[in-house]
Amino acid sequence: MTDLNTQAELVRRSLKRRYRKERRFRAYGIVAVGVALLALITLFSDIIGKGYTGFLKTTVTLEVNLDPELMYLDDASDKDALRMADFKAPLLAALRQELPDATTSREDTRALGGLLSGYAANELQDRVAADPSLLGTRQVMTFLAHGNVDVYNKHAGETAYSIKLTPQQQQWVDTLKANNVVNTEFNDILFVHGDSREPANAGVAGAMVGSLLTMLVTLLLSFPIGVSAAIYLEEFAPQNRLTDFIEVNINNLAAVPSIIFGLLGLAVFINLFGMPRSIPFVGGLVLTLMTLPTIIIASRAAIKSVPPSIREAAEGIGASKMQVVMHHVLPLAMPGMLTGSIIGMAQALGETAPLLLIGMVAFIVDVPDGLFDAATVLPVQIFLWAGSPELGFIERASAAIMVLLAFLISMNALAIWLRKRLERRW
Amino acid sequence: MNMHMEHPELEYGKTVGNAFSADPKFSLRDVEVYYGDTQAIKGISLDIARNEVISFIGPSGCGKSTFLRCLNRMNDSIDICSVRGRLELDGRDLYDPKQDVVELRARVGMVFQKPNPFPKSIYDNVAYGPRIHGLANRKAELDEMVENSLRKAGLWNEVKDRLDRPATGLSGGQQQRLCIARTIAVSPEVVLMDEPCSALDPIATARIEELISELSENFTIIIVTHSMQQAARVSDRTAYFHLGHLVEVNETNKVFTAPEHSLTESYITGRFG
Amino acid sequence: MTTKQEQVYGDHISQQFNEDLSDLKSEFLRMGGLVESQLNDAVRALIDNDGHLAEKVRAGERVVDQLEMEIDEEAARIIVRRQPAARDLRLVVAVIKMVADLERVGDEAKKIAEFALSLSEEGRAPRGYVEVRYISNHVATMLHDALDAFARLDWELALRVMREDERVDEEYQAAARALLTFMMEDPRNISRCMAVMWVLRALERVGDHACNIAENVIFMVKGKDVRHTSVEEAEKLIHAKRK
Repeated sequence: MTDLNTQAELVRRSLKRRYRKERRFRAYGIVAVGVALLALITLFSDIIGKGYTGFLKTTVTLEVNLDPELMYLDDASDKDALRMADFKAPLLAALRQELPDATTSREDTRALGGLLSGYAANELQDRVAADPSLLGTRQVMTFLAHGNVDVYNKHAGETAYSIKLTPQQQQWVDTLKANNVVNTEFNDILFVHGDSREPANAGVAGAMVGSLLTMLVTLLLSFPIGVSAAIYLEEFAPQNRLTDFIEVNINNLAAVPSIIFGLLGLAVFINLFGMPRSIPFVGGLVLTLMTLPTIIIASRAAIKSVPPSIREAAEGIGASKMQVVMHHVLPLAMPGMLTGSIIGMAQALGETAPLLLIGMVAFIVDVPDGLFDAATVLPVQIFLWAGSPELGFIERASAAIMVLLAFLISMNALAIWLRKRLERRW
Repeated sequence: MNMHMEHPELEYGKTVGNAFSADPKFSLRDVEVYYGDTQAIKGISLDIARNEVISFIGPSGCGKSTFLRCLNRMNDSIDICSVRGRLELDGRDLYDPKQDVVELRARVGMVFQKPNPFPKSIYDNVAYGPRIHGLANRKAELDEMVENSLRKAGLWNEVKDRLDRPATGLSGGQQQRLCIARTIAVSPEVVLMDEPCSALDPIATARIEELISELSENFTIIIVTHSMQQAARVSDRTAYFHLGHLVEVNETNKVFTAPEHSLTESYITGRFG
Repeated sequence: MTTKQEQVYGDHISQQFNEDLSDLKSEFLRMGGLVESQLNDAVRALIDNDGHLAEKVRAGERVVDQLEMEIDEEAARIIVRRQPAARDLRLVVAVIKMVADLERVGDEAKKIAEFALSLSEEGRAPRGYVEVRYISNHVATMLHDALDAFARLDWELALRVMREDERVDEEYQAAARALLTFMMEDPRNISRCMAVMWVLRALERVGDHACNIAENVIFMVKGKDVRHTSVEEAEKLIHAKRK
């Protein structure tokens, strides 16, 4: 009896120790998760804090007098005349109207011109060309402000940004802001324009479309090839040295640095096959090479996780190998395969290095029209902007990072949704 | 007497009792199964009569499941497994290269240890076999086959209102009966059962056993079981396996009251296992 | 319990099962011993004209009945809890049947004791007691051998008991004829001779029961059903080759 009592006592004491250990371990876990969360919050707050201004643009709203004499333009339908006409003059005149203290001296004229985006005159020209009846009327129009004005408008007083406006210009901008001539609006340009030399006019549309096209090629190639390879290796391939060798190599390929795939793409697709540089098609091919091992490994794991009892059941009824795979193994493995593929794709979406090598790093203003049109992709665009000297690009790079993140999150969400949907079928 | 202590050497290919039949469904002669270098089945000769229920009993690892799986070539998918000897179903060699495995399995169906319904609806589970073998031309015909099979499996009344519901929502016993319905839906001649009740409670087990007795009118049933009471309850003949040998086959009653071989006796009276 | 019994029934994986079976056997042998002494006492009471002993036998019958019920219960419990098979099953089945035989032997002993009581009231009756003594010795030996065969799982002894039964039947016929001559000699003897006749009849029944027990022992040991067969056939059955 005493023996039992001491035993119970011993157990109780060890229990206390065990619970203490458990609590300690749980605390470690919470700390680890906390650190990870903190890092994530820091990352996001930094990017969002720096980048939200990238989603804003500074505009100048002016009442423009489209006086034919001022512009040296008589007939707006005459293309040559249109080209020769001076569209800067009405803009400057309109600005002078808002800023009575500006003189007509050369310096002031240049300073005034520096308030508007370099493309403002072209924009005006386009509008007049589109509607010749505008000639001779007065119109209220909104133009993009110059990049420096944009920076001053958003970041005046921030040490990280050096303001490149003269004190005179700064004073003008302040006046114009007070008069609601200079406004801050949502930056739709970011989503409709391609790259540009001028930050205010630059957008990620080209890179987004480029990324989409590249991903499309990658998906269309890597998913069917990867899944077929996985099915063959898991279900049909004989177990011998050759398949072992292939398996080891696939696993190794998954760990190969991505830039090697870029070199391979350059050597094979561009130099050997003579495909053009910078096109999404070649980018997709290279990323396919990179994504395939991931998809194959994920798909094989998904196939392996299909319970053998289901396979046996189908075989026991007399289903052929092909029917077993198509009717049972594939549907059951599909969620896992899709998840693996989308994770692989997400990885490819963020990939820069291999694309640099095949020339998807060029400065491309136009939004690509197709798979064989020169294009760049989001991460490369970010890379380019982050490295450019103009201040306006820094916030745009952050904005582009957010766009990229949104892309990734929506792809992952798609993966989760697909998985849930496919799993719910039974 | 003295049979209790001495374990007579297992003689290769020697079986006591009554292993042969005048009109066999399966005729198996000198069957040997190897896994790589290890011999799992040691020269077994056995006839299985038409429409009889025969149960295979024996300690774990005695080869009874392996032997069962030879009968519809389920061992084929194991690369290192090789089967020798003469195995005939209605006089035709099972392992003839010309024998189609798919056709064989349509004739010799199998029910497994764990209920393994497909993750589909109840209807689709039963209809799967007839569909892949193209047994029904019209929907009505298929419906009828599904209903018949479920009726034979004694499940119709329980599931007739929820045929489109997932089969995985059924209880373990119902799932196993569904698996039996799925197997008999393709009208096999033989049904192999590999410990069909080992995962079920006694009531569900009793239902399955009742079902086996009913099915024995139309099918030849071969059942591997660890429950000697089950073997005693359902089977006409009982075969005792030991270390890859078929030690004794006889009428179930005989095996369980007066077995001829001392190993059989030791096993069924709980003296080793 | 002999070692042989332990070897045959005592090596189950379940120790509890071993004990259950050994309890069943020892209870049965205890009952056997009791019935044997009941029979011997009854015959002695008759021959020695000992009314006191006869009373004792009558009282002892109740203990025998009690034992019978206990053994039946124990056997039923083993069937329910252990689902015995093969020789264990045969043991339990045989015990259930042999217990019934033993109980009947007990009944016969009581019957003899009752005759002893009524005869002792009428005074000594030397006629026919020689036959009674002779047959009762024979029958008692048979019963003893049958129980011995059970205890030692000795099927040869059991077979001998079966053979003895035929001799007892012959002796009974002879004794019955002898008594018939006494009755013809002197009609006054008829009622007493009839009583002796009944005693002989009871002893002959005991012989049959001993024979049944021996048959059950053979079934138990050899798994061969030798009821309703002649001894020669039984012998042939037993010697049929087995592994």
